[in-house]
Amino acid sequence: MKQQSEWEPKLVGFLCKWCSYAGADLAGTSRKKYPANIRIIKVPCSGRVDPLFILKALRLGFDGVLVSGCHPGECHYQTGNYRARRRVAITKKFLEYMGIEPQRIQASWVSASEGGKFAEVVAEVTKGLKEIGPNQLFSERQGDGTKATARG
Amino acid sequence: MEQKLRQEAKALLEQGKVDWIIGFEPGSFKFSTTPLITKDKNDADRLVINPFIVNNLASFLTEIKGRVGIVAKGCDSRSIVSLIQDNKVVREDVVILGVPCPGIIDLAKVERLAGKDRDELDDITREEDKVIIKFDGEKKEFSTTQALFDNCLACELPTPQEYDILLGEPRPPAPNLEVSGEDIEKLKGLVPGQRWEFWQNELSRCIRCYACRNVCPACYCQRCFVEETEPQWALPVPRWQDNLIFQIVRNIHMAGRCTDCGECERVCPVNIPLRSLTREMYDIVDELFHFKAGMDKEALPLMTHYEQEEAEDLFR
Repeated sequence: MKQQSEWEPKLVGFLCKWCSYAGADLAGTSRKKYPANIRIIKVPCSGRVDPLFILKALRLGFDGVLVSGCHPGECHYQTGNYRARRRVAITKKFLEYMGIEPQRIQASWVSASEGGKFAEVVAEVTKGLKEIGPNQLFSERQGDGTKATARG
Repeated sequence: MEQKLRQEAKALLEQGKVDWIIGFEPGSFKFSTTPLITKDKNDADRLVINPFIVNNLASFLTEIKGRVGIVAKGCDSRSIVSLIQDNKVVREDVVILGVPCPGIIDLAKVERLAGKDRDELDDITREEDKVIIKFDGEKKEFSTTQALFDNCLACELPTPQEYDILLGEPRPPAPNLEVSGEDIEKLKGLVPGQRWEFWQNELSRCIRCYACRNVCPACYCQRCFVEETEPQWALPVPRWQDNLIFQIVRNIHMAGRCTDCGECERVCPVNIPLRSLTREMYDIVDELFHFKAGMDKEALPLMTHYEQEEAEDLFR
């Protein structure tokens, strides 16, 4: 049994309804093992993911964010994932420049038939997060009297 | 150049080709200029062109109804083109009075160089590769890299590409990227944690006056995300966490729109080096998508189109 004090990263996954969410479902029904660190939020399309979602998740203290959608060319809405790709790419690059570890913002293409890939992605991302440690980006600095809480 | 501008502006108003003229007039402080927005043809004589016309007037375009004649330096013309790309401005409704710009003199830098307040200076003149400051009967010469705005040093388009009337001889671009990119290179040399700490410290000074947002020609949303309350993305109080979210998301929204005109940094009352953010986003967009805002009015806005294959190395 694991020790209670051991820290486990919290990962939020924005999965598109048509591919990645179904892929996660398949991972479950085919009994694939993957870390329970991911909290899944179903979105209609990866194009729905606003960079604000990513920032908000980090602000709330999640250790990492995974955005996942259909492979390029396979979007249910034709172009949603292409748009997501541009948005996520600039967000990832820019946050990296700001000083947020690149491992915290992850993106992948997982189709409905790739239950195995989904399990692998979650395992890899979780491993990466364990290496960099907990997200203290927005936590209180010593002595400045501010608290890292957000509502809404 | 100034005479020609006054004539053209007067003619445009007289012939009814425009309802408004937006330009510069002498400001209330020594050397400074201030935007002039007028419907009256007699006001045309107040228009000036000098090395201190700093404002990016394109930000008024989204607020004014009617046909507008606008004085535009190279950077301003890019902002106008960017607004045309975004369908915020109709090309036929603007008459662009293009000013080939040799770079704008940063009065704050001049004050530091001379060690004097601007009121104590007798004269500031610009020659091709130097700026001459006269005070107390003395004459001091400085290089343009010392006295111009940082973003002018990186200027890729001194002469407007898009114009109706060009008021002077076109100037070739001569970007001095080494000097202008110094701060960014220094930051990139730090480890991520140090960079985050740097921005924490810088943005902890932010008082959330939103001057950067309000002066930005590309920030034209009716309702900004920081003012939304349901859900509340960032608290409307000047705490560093929320300041960071505001600036990060503002820069993400500006991707493909920001032309690196440097207005946000100039107006910041607490001197946050905002251009180190905007410039980096400008470079990211250029590197990933080979897109430069405001260069081509026919180009689609960055976030509304895509290529089949791009940025794939960032995805698993």
